[in-house]
Amino acid sequence: MIDWIPQLALLLIQIALVLLLAPLVSGFIAKTKARLQLRRGPRLTQSYSDLLKLFRKEPVISHHASWLFRGTPYIVFASTVTVALLVPTAYSVVPFHWAGDAITVIALFALGRFFLALAGLDAGSAFGGLGSSREMSIASIVEPAMMLGIFAVAVTAGSTNLSVIVSTLSTTTASMLHPSHILAFAGLFIVTIAETGRIPVDNPATHLELTMIHEAMVLEFSGRYLALIEWASQVKLLVFLAILTNVFFPIGIATDFTFLALAQGIGAFCGKILLLALAIAVLESTNAKLRLFRVPDLLMVAFTFSLLSLILYFLIGS
Amino acid sequence: MTFLDIPTGAQFIDIFAAAILVTAFLIVSSKSLVFYVRLFALQSLLLGGVAMLVVFAYGETHILIAAVLTIILKAIVIPIVLWRIIDRIKIRKEVELSINVTVSLLICGAMVIFADSIAEPIRNSKQVLNPIAGRVFPVSIAIMLIGLFIMMSRKKAVTQIVGLLTMENGLFLSGLSITYGMPLIVEIGVFFDILVAALILGVFVFRINRTFDSIDVADLRRLRH
Amino acid sequence: MFSVLLGIPLIGAVVCGVNTKRRILEVATIATGVIALATSLWIARTVSEQSTLTSPKGLLFVDALSAFVIIIVAGSFLATALYSPEYLGRQVQLGTVSQKQLRLYYGLLNIFLFTMLFVLVSNNLGFLWIGTESTTLATAFLVAFYEKESSLEAAWKYVIICSVGIALALFGVILTYFASSSVVGSSANALHWTVLMSVAKKLDPSVLRIAFIFVLVGFGTKAGLAPMHTWKPDAYGEAPAPVSGLMAAGLVNVALYSILRFYILVHKALGDAYASDLLLALSLFSMVLAVPFMLVQKDFKRLLSYSSVEHVGIITFAIGLATPLAYVGALLHMLNNSIAKLLLFFSTGSMRGVYNTKIIRRVSGAMHVMPVTATVFILAVFAVTGWPPFGLFVSELTILSAGFGSGNIWMSVFFIGVITTIFLGFFYYASGMVWGEPYRKQEPAESDTMTQLLLVALLLLLLILGVAMPSGVSDFIQKAAKVIEG
Repeated sequence: MIDWIPQLALLLIQIALVLLLAPLVSGFIAKTKARLQLRRGPRLTQSYSDLLKLFRKEPVISHHASWLFRGTPYIVFASTVTVALLVPTAYSVVPFHWAGDAITVIALFALGRFFLALAGLDAGSAFGGLGSSREMSIASIVEPAMMLGIFAVAVTAGSTNLSVIVSTLSTTTASMLHPSHILAFAGLFIVTIAETGRIPVDNPATHLELTMIHEAMVLEFSGRYLALIEWASQVKLLVFLAILTNVFFPIGIATDFTFLALAQGIGAFCGKILLLALAIAVLESTNAKLRLFRVPDLLMVAFTFSLLSLILYFLIGS
Repeated sequence: MTFLDIPTGAQFIDIFAAAILVTAFLIVSSKSLVFYVRLFALQSLLLGGVAMLVVFAYGETHILIAAVLTIILKAIVIPIVLWRIIDRIKIRKEVELSINVTVSLLICGAMVIFADSIAEPIRNSKQVLNPIAGRVFPVSIAIMLIGLFIMMSRKKAVTQIVGLLTMENGLFLSGLSITYGMPLIVEIGVFFDILVAALILGVFVFRINRTFDSIDVADLRRLRH
Repeated sequence: MFSVLLGIPLIGAVVCGVNTKRRILEVATIATGVIALATSLWIARTVSEQSTLTSPKGLLFVDALSAFVIIIVAGSFLATALYSPEYLGRQVQLGTVSQKQLRLYYGLLNIFLFTMLFVLVSNNLGFLWIGTESTTLATAFLVAFYEKESSLEAAWKYVIICSVGIALALFGVILTYFASSSVVGSSANALHWTVLMSVAKKLDPSVLRIAFIFVLVGFGTKAGLAPMHTWKPDAYGEAPAPVSGLMAAGLVNVALYSILRFYILVHKALGDAYASDLLLALSLFSMVLAVPFMLVQKDFKRLLSYSSVEHVGIITFAIGLATPLAYVGALLHMLNNSIAKLLLFFSTGSMRGVYNTKIIRRVSGAMHVMPVTATVFILAVFAVTGWPPFGLFVSELTILSAGFGSGNIWMSVFFIGVITTIFLGFFYYASGMVWGEPYRKQEPAESDTMTQLLLVALLLLLLILGVAMPSGVSDFIQKAAKVIEG
């Protein structure tokens, strides 16, 4: 009877970690970029203030919008939070691990993207359609790359369930350096950048017609709708980073449910996320955004990395 | 005297070999001549690293000389020569590709799988001398095939040189993976040959540029059947 | 012994490198040729008494087969050295070549000889490879000699295609080393042909099979076997005539020699027809491919290059038949083909110098302008297409008998068909060049006495080999054929 208490505790820790940490990570990236450009940049907690501000404002909706437009922010947020509950963060086995595996994660993200694309079209503005079509064409190459990358790791661990992968890999440190792993990590890293709309694929801060992809889709949203969507994309970034760190380098993750292990797990998680966020910030600051027709080339490289990682696993053996 | 134990050595060799394969793929995916030469330099450095690892794990000194030669000649001298040529001919990009990047990458992926089938009978042969590197033999064949592909699918003369040199790197790696490398005297001869070949090709690129005002080998079609 | 053979061309190269006077360059090269030929004959005599010569560490080695090819190469070099002065002299007169370039030419020619001889005396298969790659490098600038657009293009294709092929051959050598070091341990010995032959049966057959394919493709590229022959028309067409002649007479045999060494090893090790079947397949492909290209040619040097492809096909065909008689035929054909090619390239080279064109249609009435050269040319065309009483008839007949004798009826019939077609085409073009009225009013401009003597001497040699082969020569060829049998 009492075994649901630890599960509940874990659940709460997970939700808190993901939902509350996400805006901080985005803020951290923005701050680092600013520092690299020798500016002071916004406060680290600016994202929280922005979200709160948006929640208090009244949304303005176009006449042409339908229920799709009004429902999308909730769908997107819900699907992203569901994913967040499936990905291991501080503890290797999440409470809902039986509910879904890596394929479910990919499907949920696809669901969110699908509705976002439709909502972009729904508002009837030219920018919305533009963003939707661009986003979809990128997604069509990103999805296979992501799947192959996850599969490469799944093959090593013998299951596509993220929790199982993390617990299996956290016990054998040698396999972390296997070339197949490193290549899958490289492939998934590029996929992360593409999925979360960072430079060099998409600029999250631009609103120029020539360059925006994700921003174009969400241009029409305002008020609490925009808040939900913004928060969802921040959570999405955190989830991807969590996958990257815990699936490939599950060092320090908690494997038993003790206070010490959990504290260490949370600490390790925050540390690794910070490192990755730093890497992304540096990457964004040192690269230029790719022209749109060159993006498939980059994504093809990611796909090839994932493909190679799978091939190498069989070629070189474990 | 061995400094490295075999499992760790094997692991690092796996990583290095995979990294060399990745550089080959990056050459296929890129369009900048300068970047090609940089990747080639990195590739040769990693190759020298693999040779060093074999030396440290087995204590075979003659590979050490080959390793040092690789690093000096292929990671430093030849790239510098190529960079100088690129500077002087002022052509820095491969503008159109006969096979676009996406398809090229897929073809190279298929070639890696094909390389494994070529390597099959040799891997199964009972006497692979060098167990720690034996597993990267298919990777080395793949690198050779990708080098060949680069030569055939790209149009700038400098890229063809890089493709040829990549092939040679794959060859050296294959030698390392199934034996301890060929006898020193042969290795030195091979290095010398490759160096001279690269220099001669470099001179030709320069002359071609001077005569044709481009280094696009598609322009070299005056002679037919 | 080895040091003399290898050292002389090096000395010749150095002498040519430091001198600029034309006379010295020409004389030094001719001297190198003479000494090389003399040394090779001396080696041949020693080998027929002792059967093999080996250097102290076992790296270098000569047996009857090597000695035979060395004689061919040295002789070809001498002929080229005798022909070059007149040819290049005319080019200097016409202004296409400067005096300074002569130094480069003769120097590279000597280095070319060195690299070829290096291949021929190697026991170490790795050295074999190094030498073959070096021949490509040595001839690169010779092919590009005229520095025109077409020369550069030809040289670029030549170096690239041959380097790719050679790289594949290196992979084959590595695999061979792998197979052998599993048996004899890893040291330089493991690549020595003599050592390998002694443990041939113990080598892993599946590895050798793959190795042979790579070696065949690689060295076949150098020899000009189809489909790796694409560099030949360009390279032979654009290089100066003496260089083309030396490549067609010398380099081709060196490449075939490399293939032969591996063939002997693999044939002995595998014991089945795998190696010879591969050779047969490639040879037939070469012969077939040569025919249509020869018939549509407009440039006579490219025409000759396709003839070279065809004859390399014939030699390979003979080796692929794998009977002792066929081996004799192959070796005979190597010798005869070399002489014939020298004749063809030299005579057309003189014609080019006089008519200043390489296009077949623009050369006509050579009989009036340069009677001796034209006569030699037309007779050489007869010779190279297999007419009696010239040597090639004998060698092709030998190969045919071997073919029919070993039961490869259809292939032999096919062979006859190919030869006939080629004769018709070749003769059509050649007669157009030799007879008729000169296209433009051309004064009689025969080559100088030395060249005429050279051409006639070579023709006579071909005649003698066809009609009355000296027993010493045929005995020696028998010995060399024995080596191929393993």
